[in-house]
Amino acid sequence: MNRVYAALAIAGALLAAVPLLGLPLFYESFCYLVFHWIVLATSWNILSGYSGYFSFGHGAFFGAGMYTTATLASRFDVPFLWTLPAAALVAVLLGLALGAVVFRVRGVRGELFALVTLAFTFVVGTIILNTRIDGGPGIYLSAVPIPKIGPSPASTFYLLGLAAALATLAIAYGIYRSRLGVGLFAIHDDEDVAEVLGVPTFRCKMVAFGVSCGLAAIAGGIHALFISYVTAGDTFTITVPLTVVLMSVLGGTRHWAGPAVGATIITALLYAFTAGDHAIAGKAVFGGVLIAVILFMPQGVLGTLVARRRKRRASAVPVPAADAMMETRPPREARPIGPERILVAHGIRKAFRGVRALERVDIDVREGEILGLVGPNGSGKSTFVNLVSGHYRPDGGELVFAGEDIAHHDAHWIARAGVARTYQIPRPFEHLTVLDNVAVPAMFGAAHLDRDAALREARRWLEFTGLADKAEWLPEDLNLHQRKFLELARALASRPRLLLLDEVLSGLTPTEIDGAIRLIRRIRDEGATIVFVEHVMRAVWALTDRIVVLDHGQVIAEGTAEEVMGRSDVVTAFLGKAHA
Amino acid sequence: MGLPSLSLIAQSVLSGVFIGALYGLLGLGLSLSWGLLRQINLAHFALAFLAAYLCYQLSTVGGIDPLLTLVVIVPGFFALGVAMQWLFARFEITAFNSLLVTFGLTVIVESLIQSIWTADFRRLESTYGNAKFKLGFLYIPAPELLTLVLSLSLAFSMWAALRYTDIGKALRAAAEDGPIATAFGVNRQALALLLSGACAALAGVAGVCIALSYTLAPAQIYGWIGVVFAAVMMGGLGRPLGPIVAGIVIGVSESVTMALTSPSWAPLVSFSLLIVVLLVRPSRV
Amino acid sequence: MLELRSVEARYGAAVALRDISLSVGPADLVSIVGPNGAGKTTLINVIAGIHRAAAGTMTLGTRDLTRLPAWRFCDEGVAIVPEGRHLFTSMTVRENLELGSYRSEAKASRRESLERVASMFPPLAEWLDRPAGTLSGGQQQMAAIARALMARPRVLLLDEPSLGLAPVIVLELFKIIRRVNAEGVAVLLVEQNVAMALDIATRAYVLEQGRIVAEGAPDALMREPRLRAAYLGADAPGAAGAAASL
Repeated sequence: MNRVYAALAIAGALLAAVPLLGLPLFYESFCYLVFHWIVLATSWNILSGYSGYFSFGHGAFFGAGMYTTATLASRFDVPFLWTLPAAALVAVLLGLALGAVVFRVRGVRGELFALVTLAFTFVVGTIILNTRIDGGPGIYLSAVPIPKIGPSPASTFYLLGLAAALATLAIAYGIYRSRLGVGLFAIHDDEDVAEVLGVPTFRCKMVAFGVSCGLAAIAGGIHALFISYVTAGDTFTITVPLTVVLMSVLGGTRHWAGPAVGATIITALLYAFTAGDHAIAGKAVFGGVLIAVILFMPQGVLGTLVARRRKRRASAVPVPAADAMMETRPPREARPIGPERILVAHGIRKAFRGVRALERVDIDVREGEILGLVGPNGSGKSTFVNLVSGHYRPDGGELVFAGEDIAHHDAHWIARAGVARTYQIPRPFEHLTVLDNVAVPAMFGAAHLDRDAALREARRWLEFTGLADKAEWLPEDLNLHQRKFLELARALASRPRLLLLDEVLSGLTPTEIDGAIRLIRRIRDEGATIVFVEHVMRAVWALTDRIVVLDHGQVIAEGTAEEVMGRSDVVTAFLGKAHA
Repeated sequence: MGLPSLSLIAQSVLSGVFIGALYGLLGLGLSLSWGLLRQINLAHFALAFLAAYLCYQLSTVGGIDPLLTLVVIVPGFFALGVAMQWLFARFEITAFNSLLVTFGLTVIVESLIQSIWTADFRRLESTYGNAKFKLGFLYIPAPELLTLVLSLSLAFSMWAALRYTDIGKALRAAAEDGPIATAFGVNRQALALLLSGACAALAGVAGVCIALSYTLAPAQIYGWIGVVFAAVMMGGLGRPLGPIVAGIVIGVSESVTMALTSPSWAPLVSFSLLIVVLLVRPSRV
Repeated sequence: MLELRSVEARYGAAVALRDISLSVGPADLVSIVGPNGAGKTTLINVIAGIHRAAAGTMTLGTRDLTRLPAWRFCDEGVAIVPEGRHLFTSMTVRENLELGSYRSEAKASRRESLERVASMFPPLAEWLDRPAGTLSGGQQQMAAIARALMARPRVLLLDEPSLGLAPVIVLELFKIIRRVNAEGVAVLLVEQNVAMALDIATRAYVLEQGRIVAEGAPDALMREPRLRAAYLGADAPGAAGAAASL
């Protein structure tokens, strides 16, 4: 069994024995509170820490859980333990309903998402307060029988809290290591790029949100019985979300165990201060700690430790490239260009706020060829690449890839179908290692591999592009040339049928360009069709089978390089005409 | 329950206008710093309450006329705002981190207030506080009227300053395209300090208005956050007239709801409005 | 008047400009041409103060600009017409022009400057109160040049002014640039449209991969093989014949 799961199981078994020691009530209640906050903070982090969608609405789902349990247990006499799954279900449905609306609106990220979720909390709270669910006086649970799990009620709560905390940690870890986790972290760094690489961003966010809400509700259900009296006014406030934010940020939002660390520290601090005469000073220290963490340790306690360990690993002696797992493929025969047209663009139109970027553009791409797309600045080349990869939808015309109309599909669908692209200005996932950057498309692109296979595949492509010894580096440590090659490796790792290269050579030295040209030839020999947007004419001459020339959003010429570049209208488009 | 009388509705609308004016005054500084500096200053509320308590203290214990406390509060808080902005710039705090850091500041200020003035309720008794005008069948309390006048005049002044003065134009240009504004001679750091000071001073004024009309308790700081954020976002970030217009819309809908149903439904109105605005026009923000 | 000596510029670890030395005299119209990715925009941004030079010196007249904070550059007499215009689109044209004369010396003569640019760009007077974002590409370019002139610069920097504009408008534009230069403002122009850029210049430089590879009088440069190579590709069989057709 995996080391972490084993550790959790052992810790769980040890901690479960504590009530048998007969310690004073205080300790068990204190531990319950620690477990309680571990559940809340860890569950919050599953969506907000991993994906970067900071929710300020955790209180709404916690409260939904509290009220479901309170209502079912005290009004309908449902046995307490059965109310917990019901609480989770209610919160999950509520969360998915909110997510279905909010995650679809493109502009709502960052601060906006935080505020929508905060507003949602107050809306739910008001509704609960004013309808028969609560109605004002709150709900008492003193008559609800506490299940006899431990020697005393306090130990029962201790054990319930412990179980919930272990389950939450196990789930958080499981997601962290899964394909969903990788997708969420990719979304965190650059959602648009993640989508274009094949990550089904909407689905990932919904699943993470649902899990997060369900776990929060379970914590709420248990807590309702613990405090035995629930009111809307105390529950649906800004307190719960702000506390979990603080705990997670302190511990480190990018690590599955970060929030748990933060929860333990903060709960201990709170008890140490507020229990005594120094309640007020304690609160001030609380605020000071938050500020200090943001200013000096923005990655949190665990985050900083992990980063330091990675730096040490990256500077260690690199593993020799000839790993037994990697087969070096013999270079294939140059494949003949097939008669099939892998991409057909017909009558494509695209305008941005009145400016026509592409107008009546017809481009065919034959399978196995390298098609050059050239033209002066502003002629529409990048727009074309953005349309084919799904960043934008065309205003008009048809876009058919391998027989499928892709104009109306989400970008991640297009990626799964076999289209990959590079960005003119490299857009790596800044917080993922070079290896993980390349693993993302391997997992979510056309190849759709599982995590371990994806990592192997990623290593292979890093080999191919000469970045194998930098696998554990972060993108910020790479120079421009290496970043461009990282872009390339990332595009290749999804095993695309059609590769769109957007000015991949700009900014490189002549030697680097030569190396890139060789690489691109090898890529074509491996079976990809390439559309190659470039300004570096040397490469265009060397690589392309055909060229299409764009100017002011229209195709002005098409043919082989010799045919096209000899035409005076093409030269004029590039160099301009002089007028005396 | 039958339909309430016309005079009740009219009085509700009026009190909605008054409370909306206070939302607008509180929201003015928040909106300007968020829209023009890209900082979400949660501490704005704590500063307002600090000013409210100071006004209470100077007036109750020091015997100074509450309005005269502005002479001390406005420049003092201006300086506080400058200091805060200096801190933000020094640590290069991003928009989201500013939310977290200012939350920390809020908690610290709340503790400060609680340690000095305790959690007991404090009410500023003044001649203004009890004065009322009567217009037909409507009652107009003096502090609320004062708040409305201050709120409107400050909103208009900021609007005029942003629109017509060189510094205002420079602020708007810098918010839209920082590097190009710099290329034309705009000293963005200096302007950011100036704006921060002004926003904090606005918080100070709002605090004095709160002290005149309300009973104070430290925990109340948090009660205003939600609805003022709603007013700010609905009014559009960085637009001086936005918060007061949105604030009045929210205030009136809240108080009419309260008159027609019960007071506790009021938050539903403001937050539902906020959610709708955020979803329908996220780009506006 | 404007002198760059061995200027170097970086983006992080990547070197964008290497050992750049050039000069612009008080009445000069200097063009810098070169292919995409050569570093032309970086160069203009360094001279405007938007991007910091990593090494080398920059002087304007007797003043050393190299270590000056970015917002002081305009004071010294440098004004930029950025690539893609970068007007403040939420503000009116008039406000954009007023921003142009934000610096103190220019502020004093604002009214006079406004009249001057209105006479230089007659259509501008009609659009003064329209939001700058509603103007067409060519109109925006005119407004951007007018805004820079409001700063009463000694050196006017233009970054790819012909970008995205129809040829007939580009003609008008270059006539205006000539006129501005004739009225006593030094001009430094970065362009992809090589023919037009060399046509109006008194002197020119060719930039490739962050270095200056050629400089001199425009007609001499037109015949330079390095220029053709830089644009059309060194081993392009049609290149020699194509360039000869210019």
